[in-house]
Amino acid sequence: MTELSQLNIIQVRALSKKVNTLAGELPILSDISFNVKPGESVAIVGASGSGKSTLLGLLAGLDSTNEGEIYLDSEPLHTLDEEQRAALRAKSIGFVFQSFMLVQSLTAIENVMLPAELAGHKDAKQQAINLLTKVGLEYRLDHFPSQLSGGEQQRVAIARAFVGSPKILFADEPSANLDTKNGQLIESLLFELNQEKDTTLLLVTHDEHLAERCNRILHIDGGHLINDSNGSRAHAV
Amino acid sequence: MIVTGRVLMQYKVENNNNALWVKLAFRLFFRELKRGELTIISAAIALAVLTVFTLSSVTDRIGQSIDQKSNTFIAADRKLGSAHPLPNEYKEKSLEYSLNTADQLYFDTMLFANDDMQLSSVKAVSKEYPLRGKIIIKDTLSDQVPDYSVTTGPTPGNIWLSESVLYALGIEIGDSVELGAKNLIAEKVLVEEPDAPFNIFSASKRVLININDVAATKVIQPGSRVYYAMLFSGNEENIVSYYEWLKPKLSENQSWWGVKDRQSWLSGSVNRAEKFLLLAGLLGIMLAAVAIAVSAKRYCENQYDPVAMMKTLGGSRSSIRKIFMLHLSLVTFFAIIIGLIFGFALQLVAIDYLSENMDQALPKASIRPWFISIVTGATCALMFSLKPLLDLFDIPPLRVLRRNLGDSIAVSRIHLLVSAITIFALMLLFSGQWMTSTILFFSSAALVGILYGISRLLFKAGRGVGLSPGSSWSLAIASLQKRASANSVQLVSFALAIKLLLFLFVLKNDIINDWQSQLPVDAPNAFLVNVTEEQLDPIEFMLAKEGISTTGFYPTVRGRLNEINNELLARDYSEQDNEKKDEEAKAGIGRELNLTWLMDIPSQNEITQGQWFDKDVKGEASVEEGMAERLEIELGDIIGILIGSEKFNAKVTSFRKVNWSSLKPNFFVILSPDLLSHFPATYITALHVPKESKKSLNVLLKSYSTITMIDVDSFIKQVRSTVDQVSIAIGFVLIIVMFCGGLVLISQVQASLQERMQEVVILRTLGAKGRLIKLATLYEFFLLGLIAGLVAAIFSDIALLLVQQQLFELNGKLHPIIWLVGPAVGASFVSILGYFMIAKTLKKNTSDLLRVMS
Repeated sequence: MTELSQLNIIQVRALSKKVNTLAGELPILSDISFNVKPGESVAIVGASGSGKSTLLGLLAGLDSTNEGEIYLDSEPLHTLDEEQRAALRAKSIGFVFQSFMLVQSLTAIENVMLPAELAGHKDAKQQAINLLTKVGLEYRLDHFPSQLSGGEQQRVAIARAFVGSPKILFADEPSANLDTKNGQLIESLLFELNQEKDTTLLLVTHDEHLAERCNRILHIDGGHLINDSNGSRAHAV
Repeated sequence: MIVTGRVLMQYKVENNNNALWVKLAFRLFFRELKRGELTIISAAIALAVLTVFTLSSVTDRIGQSIDQKSNTFIAADRKLGSAHPLPNEYKEKSLEYSLNTADQLYFDTMLFANDDMQLSSVKAVSKEYPLRGKIIIKDTLSDQVPDYSVTTGPTPGNIWLSESVLYALGIEIGDSVELGAKNLIAEKVLVEEPDAPFNIFSASKRVLININDVAATKVIQPGSRVYYAMLFSGNEENIVSYYEWLKPKLSENQSWWGVKDRQSWLSGSVNRAEKFLLLAGLLGIMLAAVAIAVSAKRYCENQYDPVAMMKTLGGSRSSIRKIFMLHLSLVTFFAIIIGLIFGFALQLVAIDYLSENMDQALPKASIRPWFISIVTGATCALMFSLKPLLDLFDIPPLRVLRRNLGDSIAVSRIHLLVSAITIFALMLLFSGQWMTSTILFFSSAALVGILYGISRLLFKAGRGVGLSPGSSWSLAIASLQKRASANSVQLVSFALAIKLLLFLFVLKNDIINDWQSQLPVDAPNAFLVNVTEEQLDPIEFMLAKEGISTTGFYPTVRGRLNEINNELLARDYSEQDNEKKDEEAKAGIGRELNLTWLMDIPSQNEITQGQWFDKDVKGEASVEEGMAERLEIELGDIIGILIGSEKFNAKVTSFRKVNWSSLKPNFFVILSPDLLSHFPATYITALHVPKESKKSLNVLLKSYSTITMIDVDSFIKQVRSTVDQVSIAIGFVLIIVMFCGGLVLISQVQASLQERMQEVVILRTLGAKGRLIKLATLYEFFLLGLIAGLVAAIFSDIALLLVQQQLFELNGKLHPIIWLVGPAVGASFVSILGYFMIAKTLKKNTSDLLRVMS
């Protein structure tokens, strides 16, 4: 690993992904390469079906690559098996999803505690209370997801994403399922915590305003990285 | 890679804190329990445990009760009999097995009182008699005096006589009766003995004395025909162990039997009732297993999202495996406890109800119901969840981004195989019978296979049907086609449940109807034996005058089956007369038979092999099939018959199946008229004597001293009450199995509810009226239930035909009524169930539904 690579928290080299279909092999991503520095916020934008969610899945170790290399927090993600990738996620990664993905049978606080408990942290409860307080849900600790509004559910998801202080946060269309007011609230919370916890943020969105709030914008089209531009927060890095 | 190793090691150290995954599993369990997400699987397991527990404890206790009740027909659990005294060693050894014993002696002798005499059958009994059942007696002959039961026989010096003997001797209670060299006091009227013989040939007028008086009577002399018996009762296992010891010691002339061993009306009924209970229990287990299988798959599918999320959040495969294995164990444990509690309560209610209706306290249940229900619940939950759980652990974390990933995991062959093996193993465990389990299992498996194929074809064929879009029927048919695969599985489950229920319901009715048809109100309740040819006309005239009908008179001649194909058969021998056993001889009947000659086959007989006698028949014999099998007689064999000192041969030209359940005279060997008609014969008939005619008939028969009337009314009363009680028990077991069948249907409808809810939300959002959706659901379930009911009716009728003939020895027949009842019940039950479930969903407003779905 070069000195330069150690400066990047994410390094992607010549990444490709193909899937098998009835019609044969279908390329989803082709020859993608880019780096992300620690603390940087990066938006991946593109039309539906452009491959941005696939890229997010690969970067987060949820899926395996066909070709190319991914280094995540200095770990060669492309060489790790599923168990090792899960261990890396437990240690370094947080997630926020479009559909919140809360465990319906657990309360707000228990959902937030879940990643910390899976990682064996003993102070999971205190961390969860602090984060839920931070997102303004200190009075909703024992509510189940079905008892919360969409905006509240996403705030729980954000609190869950930051528990254990991950180095990287992946967000998949975090405000797409919310109304404008709640969407803006969630976005602000995300950037606020991103800055406060010094977390690297990688988010997939087709919302140009949201993308603009990031340091960088990666444009994906037809599985190719066609543009790597600066966002409005470029100066913040 | 050094860095990777560091990360993993650190992670593993942290993750090794076992308390956390245990805590998480418990938390998920209690939260899901509270939110009702475990209701279906818990209910399925709990109801399976409840069903199996109730069914096995009720059948266990009813089975024991039937055994005990039927054992009263031989006054013991087992009886050992011989024409020669039984060694004392047998009784001494039985003490080591904690068995109770009683002694009996049977012999025929003349009783004298004043100037009258009467040939009577004497039963001398020890003070322990009867070991099972009670003796019913009366204090005087008067009809006004009630009878009552006692548990011990007469004391020395006393004699209890049946009414007919008292009439024949012309004496009253308190008079003296001379029996050989001893005078005995007529103490009681003998109304009913538990082991009153139902052998119409050997019985005559019955009296009961104490065995200690026998020596003083001096009636038993060398050469006397005496029958010695020893009765045994006690724990069934001890009896079986004792018999293992006894068996090698038994000689040719000593026979050991229980009530089920003998060809009698009762043994047939008891065996049939027990077979039904066993069959019902097995079907109950199958239904419970199907319910668990359906809900276990559903349970695992519900966990796909949480597992994908946990994997995404860094949960290792082993942690997730531990969490969900513990989670499932908790669900199973909790459900089993609930099932046992409710099962125990239901069983108490059931036993209370049955005891009241059966007028008999049921014996205590063994440990078996507890064992078998726990094993059923745990095994079903584990084995049916195993493959879905393995699939669950394989759910890719990417599902959090691609929501339908993992949904396509189909029911695998391994899962089907594991489930099938599990069901078969449970059936075997429950029944302990390979044959019954195998027949039932494979016939059901074949049915499932055929049904699945038929249903796929049906749903495919339905694709051509076109209806106007937006109508309820159109939506219903579209739904059926869209979910062709899921609907095929549902159809199979519905059909299986309906088939099993129809099957048991019809079988229960057929069995009970068959019993009742054999015991109509005017069934014969008496036999006249020893009627000579000269007495035939006057007796027939007398009976006609009294308005008493008969089953016709059969001629009988007593003779011995002496040889088969010139090979000598062993016969009884008398040690007292220094006779030697025929060591070289083949095992035979060991006693004289009652032979008859007939030109027409009796109605309760059926030829199974060969031909019945034709018009010009000469020198032929027809043999009962059981006897033929026992003595290894083949068609065409020559049997040698010895009557007195005259010997003749007959060629066996047919085997007969005899309905021993009929209350009519039955014969092991029927000969062609040319062989027997020249021998002096006596005649026998069965007749129904109304209660009010009994006394007058006895008085009329007094002028025919050789004729004996054997009253079997008390026996019929006992049998009828047993049949009534067993019928109640069978009906109850059927209700439990029906309950279980209902559970299968509910769990199947529940399983498809989630998908249906999604459609409801879409349709509601698009503005569909509740009525349209409800009707579409109603029609869809109506069609499913209708098809399932029809197919179920066809298959259950075929199965009934086979089972009735093969297992229950009933006349197999088709039941066209169930061809209508099946579809009607299926369609109405399934559609009402589905309708109410969807109606409940529709009560929520669309936004609530959307939130629930999201």
